Amino acid sequence: MSRGRELHLVGLSHKSAPVAVRERVALGGDVLKDALAELSARPGVGEAMVVSTCNRVECYVYGDSSDEARRFFLDRAREAGGHLYEHTGREAVRHLFRVAASLDSMVVGEPQILGQVKEAYGIAASAQSAGTYVSRLCNRAFATAKRVRNETEIARGSGSVSQVAVELVEKIFGNLKDRAVLLVGAGKMGALSAKALRDLGADRILVTNRSPEKARALADEIQGSAEPWDSLHSLLALADVVIVSTGAASYVLTQELVTHVMKARRGRSICLIDLAVPRNVDPACGQQDNVYAYDIDDLQKVVLQTHAARADEAIRAEGIVEAEVMAFAQERETRAALPVLAELRRRAEQIARVEADRTLSHLGAKLDDKGRKSVEAMAQAIVNKLLHGPTARLKEAAASGDSDLPGAAAELFGVETEESPIPPEPRR
Amino acid sequence: MSLQVLRIAALFYAGAVAAYVVYFARPRHVRLVAVGQWLLAIAFLIQGAAIGLGCREYGGAEFFGLRGGLVVMTWLGAGASLVVQRLYRIPSIGAFITPLVLVVLLPTLFLVKPDFPEVIPDEIRRPMLTIHIVTALLGVSVFAIAAGVAVMYLLQEREVKGKRFGALFSRLPSLAALDQLNQRMVRFGFVVYTLALLTGSGMAKVVWKSAWQWDPQQVSSLLIWILYLAMVQLRHTGWHGRRFAFLTIAAFGLVVGSMVTLNVLPEGMTRHGGDFRGELK
Repeated sequence: MSRGRELHLVGLSHKSAPVAVRERVALGGDVLKDALAELSARPGVGEAMVVSTCNRVECYVYGDSSDEARRFFLDRAREAGGHLYEHTGREAVRHLFRVAASLDSMVVGEPQILGQVKEAYGIAASAQSAGTYVSRLCNRAFATAKRVRNETEIARGSGSVSQVAVELVEKIFGNLKDRAVLLVGAGKMGALSAKALRDLGADRILVTNRSPEKARALADEIQGSAEPWDSLHSLLALADVVIVSTGAASYVLTQELVTHVMKARRGRSICLIDLAVPRNVDPACGQQDNVYAYDIDDLQKVVLQTHAARADEAIRAEGIVEAEVMAFAQERETRAALPVLAELRRRAEQIARVEADRTLSHLGAKLDDKGRKSVEAMAQAIVNKLLHGPTARLKEAAASGDSDLPGAAAELFGVETEESPIPPEPRR
Repeated sequence: MSLQVLRIAALFYAGAVAAYVVYFARPRHVRLVAVGQWLLAIAFLIQGAAIGLGCREYGGAEFFGLRGGLVVMTWLGAGASLVVQRLYRIPSIGAFITPLVLVVLLPTLFLVKPDFPEVIPDEIRRPMLTIHIVTALLGVSVFAIAAGVAVMYLLQEREVKGKRFGALFSRLPSLAALDQLNQRMVRFGFVVYTLALLTGSGMAKVVWKSAWQWDPQQVSSLLIWILYLAMVQLRHTGWHGRRFAFLTIAAFGLVVGSMVTLNVLPEGMTRHGGDFRGELK
């Protein structure tokens, strides 16, 4: 039996290590592939996989001990030693499932991590360091993540201010194609949101600032076009989404200005997002028809709501992970028991056949066809009756997670199983 | 016979309503949209069969009564909403339109007292009459869809503007999509209704020997037509979103109001569909 081999995990993440350490051990693509090939060739390592993202680097080894996984880190950066965490067996399985389900992420519920784990598995598979165990493990992890996504609301809502802004804009304008985004001021969060909107398909990004140099610099950075501050009015008439984040101490967009702009726009909707503190957009602007105005507090409130809701959902998600970890362990044990059973039955049937043939050849012509059939049936019946009890017992033991009995049976009857590290001596 | 078939259709409509409403409440069950669309399509076909059977039974006379009018109107409305869902892929629309179809259809399943003349004179039996009835009813059902979409718009606008971001916010489509759909429905309904008006005055000429009679039915239809014409025009002068949505709902209110008033007026006065009993000897 494979009691010696287990899943070992050694890793570090945003929870245990600063980025300065994480970036020293992170690796991807071909470099990772080579490293995996080398790792899985080492003694005591059966299979291996490495999940490497900007928030975590984790080495999963299916083998005799966690030593090689630890070395994987220490060889790359000595200082990683103090930041490593280790899990073995069921704990390691649970950890991977939680990571894939985005329960261990910095922003719980963020959707990217599952893709990153899938990629990690893909690299391990192409480096041929992932075998049956890792592929079963990963498939179960993906299924778990999918269940968590479908059965809980963990991924609902927006986790960051720029995400909220994007969601709002989508609900107002739907498709962002052919829409223009105007960035007023050079705040960092504004630039982030503008980038997010561009990714959503916003056609044009206009940047304006009191200082033309700053406007140009920012426009270059986010591939927008710099516009003169004097033409703010006509820019507002043109843009559909306006993100304001200047350092001004008073309102840049006053009610009067917005009323004028709306006339020029002939009532076309406009969304004003004020990310500045103190505020740059008069909140009264939002009372006008087809003007949608939000300040940083409105957006932050949504983020907080989302986080609170996700924390609640995370509890349900943990339950799903737990159930899947159990199911994975059980499945594995059942699978370990099945080869024993099959082998046992094969041998018994072989003996029965040989003995029946011998008897029949002794009796020779004294028996007609019917008689022959009865003898064969009797031999088969003895096998069935004899094996019925042990079969039921073994299946039961495997299903309830007891791995001792299948092992004992294999030893007692001298049968080999698929996962045995050392094949037992054939006995007669 | 046709009534039995119609009741079967109503069961399928009820199934479609259930599928759409449950989808709206639990958007995770995406498959319900397809279920709803299938049930709606089946209901539409069965109702079509019921209408065909009804034509055989009553020779088309039933469409001169309110009941027959409602049956055809719900049928056209269901067909139009199937087309809209195909074209726009806004599944949440089903949760707003299909219940409306069912509610209007329900009284026709139980109020079966004939409210129509037994025979239709051959003089008015012409294709123009059929076109008139179908376009008028289609126009009204498209206006109804526009009003439903306008309600969705106002609900979503309240969420977006009121910074609620609750369940409705995530389930309803974007304001731009709703506004655009509303506008297109109004435009399409207006074109169809114009056709109904033209064929209607054509029929008036046949029945009354003049196209315009200051008949209450004609006057209210013309007023409604002018209102929708104004809406189509206002669109170009900056009437968007909220104001337009309110206007759509108000206009549809007028349509329903005029239909109800004209139909409960005492016998002898003009009824919906045009009275010909006094005129044709």
